[in-house]
Amino acid sequence: MNDSEIDRILRAVLQDVLGLDAEQVAEFDAETELFGALPELDSMAVAGLLTEIEDRFDIMVDDDDVDGALFENYGSLLAFATQKLSARS
Amino acid sequence: MTITQYQCGGHAELCLRTGQDHQQQVLLIPPLFDEMNRMRRSLVQVMQRLDAAGVGCILPDLPGCNESLVPPETLSLARWSEALSEVGRQIAPPSLVASFRGGCLIAYDFTDAKSWQLSPVSGSALLRTLMRTEIAAAKTMGQSLSMAILEQHARDGLVCLAGNPIGADLFFQLQNAEPTQPANCRIARLSGDSKPADCVLTGDPLWLRAEPGEDSVLVEAICADILEHLSA
Repeated sequence: MNDSEIDRILRAVLQDVLGLDAEQVAEFDAETELFGALPELDSMAVAGLLTEIEDRFDIMVDDDDVDGALFENYGSLLAFATQKLSARS
Repeated sequence: MTITQYQCGGHAELCLRTGQDHQQQVLLIPPLFDEMNRMRRSLVQVMQRLDAAGVGCILPDLPGCNESLVPPETLSLARWSEALSEVGRQIAPPSLVASFRGGCLIAYDFTDAKSWQLSPVSGSALLRTLMRTEIAAAKTMGQSLSMAILEQHARDGLVCLAGNPIGADLFFQLQNAEPTQPANCRIARLSGDSKPADCVLTGDPLWLRAEPGEDSVLVEAICADILEHLSA
């Protein structure tokens, strides 16, 4: 899976789970703040988001992987998905 | 739309019906846990739309779900399979079984029925969302939980996950459950989901959302694909 594919899937997950507009998600860049900035992203939504990320990327996210920094901004979440995928292959 | 009943394991379970005089009947197997609540409005809209197209629908309450009085901690996948058999025997044999999400984990044996699935999901994915929700809720109360602790609770006999009491049988069955794959099953997924599918539908995955609302595009896409599969 190349970087643009990972980016496309991650944006789709955020749009699908949080019910965001496609236009809003398309404008995300690495600095776009997530947790604390998106009202749709609360701690309960994180639960569904993590499982959907696991499901669509076919990876496992451990309890230990999840800390405040993970959802700090779009760049941190994208880096996490990319790193998990590269560790798998 | 009428509400009827079927008997299963000594309990009367409710069942929604539309178009009961139509020749073709679709049995809808709803998603499990919270996803069932999030999708129920859409499923009823699917039933109304199919009724208008001349196809009847049956939407049973699975034991322990929705209005059912069966203690949830006594549930198992086999019990839900048995309930589906009773629906087919007591209400009407289905022409097509439409399973949604976790509903695809429940096996059934309707030899003459076509099969259609929307976004089938593994039992472990459902469990992990439930466990993460429980862990997040505990954290807001200053308690520390982990999936390992919750799994131990399940092993001890009962665990409550996001308001759902789940007994050991169901917990460990779900942990290993993969969607059933009936012969000639048509698998539909939504456009954001790149996993293998026989067709890609337009619409929003309302089952993932805290505030699902409704999506007429999704309902229309589901109905059109079910009707196409019925007539194929």
